[in-house]
Amino acid sequence: MSASSSASPSAAATAAADRPALAARRGRSPFRMLVANRTLLLMCFPAIAFFVIFSYLPMPGLYLAFIQYNYTDGIFHSPFVHWQNFRFLVMTGDLWRLTFNTIAYNLVFILLGNAVQIAVAIFLNELRSRWFKKVAQSLMFLPYFMSFVLIGLIAYNILSYDYGLLNGFLKAIGADPVKTYSNPHIWPFIIVITFLWQSTGYGSIVYFAAVMGLDSEIVEASQIDGANALQRIRYIVLPWLKPTFIILLLFSLGGVLRGNFGLFYNLVGANNTSLYATTDIIETYVFRSLMTNFNFSMGSAVSLYQSVFGFFVVLSANWLVKRLSPENSLF
Amino acid sequence: MTKVKKLGALIPALTLAFGLAACSGGGGNGNSGSPSASTAPSTDAGGSSASASASPSASTAIDTSKFVKISYVILGDKPKNGQFEKVMAEVNKLMKEKINAELEWKWVEWADWQTKYNLLLASGDPVDLITIGTDWLDTWGNAQRGAFMNLDDLLPKYAPITWNSIPQENWDQSKYKGKIVLIPEDAYTQWVNHGFFYRGDWAKEAGITEPIKDWDGIEKYLQYIKDNKPDVVPWDVNPSDSTFGGWVNSYTQELELPISTGWLPVFTAKSSDDPYTIVSPIFDDDSLLNYATKMKSWADKGFWREDVLNFKGDTRTELKGGLTGMDQHHTQTFGGLRVEMDRNQPGSELQMYPFARTSGNLLELSITHGGTSVGAHSKNPERALMAYDLIRNDEQIYRLLNYGIEGVQYEIKDGKRVLPANYDQDKDSFYSDFWGGRNDKLEIPSDTVWDQLPTTLYAEYDKIKKPYPYGQFVFDKTPVDAELTAISQVTGEMGPAIAFGKAGDPAKAVEAFKAKLKAAGYDKVKAELQKQMDAYKQQMQG
Amino acid sequence: MFKERTAIRVDGSTVFVRVVGYGVIGFFALACLLPFLLVIGTSLTSERSIARHGFNLWPREFSTFAYKIVFQNPDLIIGSYYVTIGITAVGTIAGLFIVAMTGYALQRPDFHYRNRISFFIYFTTLFSGGLVPFYLLVNQYLALKDNYLAVLLPGLMSPFLIIMMKSFVRSIPHAITESAKIDGAGDFRIFLRLILPMTTPALATIGLFIAIGYWNEWYNAMLFLSPNMKYRTLQLFLYTVVTSADYVKNSSAASNVPLRDLPLESMKMATAVVATGPVILLYPFVQRFFIKGITVGAVKG
Repeated sequence: MSASSSASPSAAATAAADRPALAARRGRSPFRMLVANRTLLLMCFPAIAFFVIFSYLPMPGLYLAFIQYNYTDGIFHSPFVHWQNFRFLVMTGDLWRLTFNTIAYNLVFILLGNAVQIAVAIFLNELRSRWFKKVAQSLMFLPYFMSFVLIGLIAYNILSYDYGLLNGFLKAIGADPVKTYSNPHIWPFIIVITFLWQSTGYGSIVYFAAVMGLDSEIVEASQIDGANALQRIRYIVLPWLKPTFIILLLFSLGGVLRGNFGLFYNLVGANNTSLYATTDIIETYVFRSLMTNFNFSMGSAVSLYQSVFGFFVVLSANWLVKRLSPENSLF
Repeated sequence: MTKVKKLGALIPALTLAFGLAACSGGGGNGNSGSPSASTAPSTDAGGSSASASASPSASTAIDTSKFVKISYVILGDKPKNGQFEKVMAEVNKLMKEKINAELEWKWVEWADWQTKYNLLLASGDPVDLITIGTDWLDTWGNAQRGAFMNLDDLLPKYAPITWNSIPQENWDQSKYKGKIVLIPEDAYTQWVNHGFFYRGDWAKEAGITEPIKDWDGIEKYLQYIKDNKPDVVPWDVNPSDSTFGGWVNSYTQELELPISTGWLPVFTAKSSDDPYTIVSPIFDDDSLLNYATKMKSWADKGFWREDVLNFKGDTRTELKGGLTGMDQHHTQTFGGLRVEMDRNQPGSELQMYPFARTSGNLLELSITHGGTSVGAHSKNPERALMAYDLIRNDEQIYRLLNYGIEGVQYEIKDGKRVLPANYDQDKDSFYSDFWGGRNDKLEIPSDTVWDQLPTTLYAEYDKIKKPYPYGQFVFDKTPVDAELTAISQVTGEMGPAIAFGKAGDPAKAVEAFKAKLKAAGYDKVKAELQKQMDAYKQQMQG
Repeated sequence: MFKERTAIRVDGSTVFVRVVGYGVIGFFALACLLPFLLVIGTSLTSERSIARHGFNLWPREFSTFAYKIVFQNPDLIIGSYYVTIGITAVGTIAGLFIVAMTGYALQRPDFHYRNRISFFIYFTTLFSGGLVPFYLLVNQYLALKDNYLAVLLPGLMSPFLIIMMKSFVRSIPHAITESAKIDGAGDFRIFLRLILPMTTPALATIGLFIAIGYWNEWYNAMLFLSPNMKYRTLQLFLYTVVTSADYVKNSSAASNVPLRDLPLESMKMATAVVATGPVILLYPFVQRFFIKGITVGAVKG
């Protein structure tokens, strides 16, 4: 786009007169290209403007991670401190454990989450009863509207030792009550289940819509050819959903080092040390670090670490996708 | 304090090209709710359009010909019943008359307040007056980051009453690098030292007739409840607050330092006699071990619930409902709670055991616990200080702002503030959350605060209190920022379990905790702290 | 959804899939419903009973105090509802249009810049400038303080939605666009007249996502709409009701704010009910578009 100055006015006139699609094929000059695609470019313009303003303009703010921010001097006159703001992360040697925990949880969330969402979308599609589908889908949406605060409270009321519903039930049937809040090994399951419970209804919408877009003639044809339900799902529906899955995957991978703070903070709480071995992620750790020492620069440093990491993960994943199924790569 | 403390809240920042950024539009149209009250003819005459454009240079002599708006950053939630607007209209009538200005409260709501408060300062919004607190709003840190204006030259001229009423030694405590950056709330009596609140009636049943004077006494009280009141959790504590500071206060002569290490204090000073030697109640004596052992035994005795670390309920509500026997907070809270308990649990005779009672180790409150600064980017610092001088010293304005309108929000009866007969809590309640310079001289005692406070606790405190030694000590965190942050993380990670007896064997837990603190840079911070404290000692003695 | 008459014969595996489907979906839906009933039950329970017995499906001590507090100033909550509904409606329609338009353009194989623009948009999900510059941008440079646009604009679109849209539209054969072009139709016209009507399931999905985003919005509202505005968004209103009570009770700084007997826990529940209720009614409405999309798809055949 930068070299458009080379085109002469007369060339512009001819190009404009051409049919755009033909021009795109014939002329390789950047300016002709621009003209040929002008309508499509214009159609993208509002979105481009949006991201320039709301995302790219603030982006130089990442520089904050490298300075000791002084409010009077402003960002570009504050002292440059190299990697100082990153130090608190590595000092205690916890960074690798946190990075591992965060990634492990996210990978489970991404893979299991998508699998369950796909399953739900396919099942919904197979069911016949309309009212059942409507009611079920509406209900599955409910958890998405519950704040994590509320979810944390509900979990406590179910799992707490003294007054929880679970132990009440166990006592009623004569079993021993369980101490959920001092058993770290059970928490990965609780967290994953809560995540699935909360996000499946919402997440499956994408897949449901994709299944809906499937051409019914292909399906009918397969039925006439004698394919049964399982075969239909295996050979028609799943491949149909593959591009959607890949896109969702690539999107999630960018944030593979960003933890779901609300989920962990409210379920595990800010005080229960005994569960940290299996539940501590970068966000909760940083929260404890900066709770009393509020510091924009250090927060920025963490965010940058997460971004750069995610960036490389996505680059690799996209490269892989490009080799395996080029039409599905993001860029 | 709940919900998503989004990490986004801690993330970065861009340029601070403030000067010309016009931001007059929205903030100006403040008085949304009260069309009727503010129609005094003189108010409209000045025209309220000039707001942000007043130039600072026009004030070599006190010239108030230009009408300006003064914003005041306040922590708290704006009252929703419309009374605030009515009171503010009254205040602004006076403000207009006296200094041709309008005062606007800029509320920082409790929802995510840390983010918003710091964002206001960091973004260079041209705010005029700002509520500060060196112990809970990181005021020295913000001063270091250049958030506040130097006031040395402005104060004598524009806030003369305040300037003259605050003694020089208190001004000395308001300086950062030799320049005054804040106006302390030094003329208002309050005690924010912590202690346990327990029920006098149950203590009596337990055979405790004297005021409780140590943690063993508390233990006896809790044990009685555990044994005799099956429906009551002796101390249904919410784990957001640590009592380790209280323990150190009770059993050593060590002093709390104005440095936050997160969940529990890692560094203290040796004693009032030697306030310049840095020690640690974790490393240098057995305070933490003893505390951990005691708390483990309380946990094993079942004084609190098994899942205490995840409990999010509200202890105070339970106390008022008779569902728990103890609560923990500071004297100010006790003063109000006692009256409430007398109403909710008649005969409960709520008592307070202040932690300092055991050791007699009590410091006066730092005068910079509350106060006011002027924003570094204020456009009208002169008028802002004039307004402040009125808020703090003008009886009429002071009472309006703190109590509301006489006859609506309060009446004076026998020298005490009482609620008017037809007062309706929902419709008439009012507060302004002005904590930036309250003044005993203009205060009227209220019947919602226990009237025996001065004769009991205050009298007791007056006997043992010692002057606050760190008024002029400003710790420069920069050299150890990373270490201090890492230490805060460690105390937050391991502290709660130790404090509530959930970390297994106390001795082992304390050792593990120490090892982690070492790794986080304990020694480096201590050395730096001692170094700066030595310099401070020189300054104070030389 | 396949039409009943085409289900020629129902073989064993179809029965199997359906039985498992009803079982799994039914169980899951129930698991989603129960906690919500717990929330409703608790919102109607007295604070004292919650403190002692925890949450209950059926209130032990019935109380509507929490709702009384939440609805203490009915005009405030109604006003906040209007604000949220207004922002949601305008924002969803505007956002949906832009997202669809961009998504269509980006999937056109003959659009020379499609990859570059896609990357340009995608990149913003990885790196963000953070809070302070964003605050400066909206507050000072765009001067949107105390302006509903400060909530409306940032929620219009996201890279995720655009790329989703792109992949949805891709399932419409490019031949349709090409034949329309031969007939002389312009790109924008093709999009508006041909493509848009064929993508209703996608539009419904993405519109739903945008709408939910607006409905749940409180963070930008908190940053940019000051308490001096009378009506802010619904979620922010409810959020401040809860946090202020929470905070005032526990803060040492707030010792001068008069203590009040607030039904803290039940209030949290009541606000959740108030905020969620209307949305549940919305979903069946949106669902129609999914079905509509199929019939359109079938016609195009």
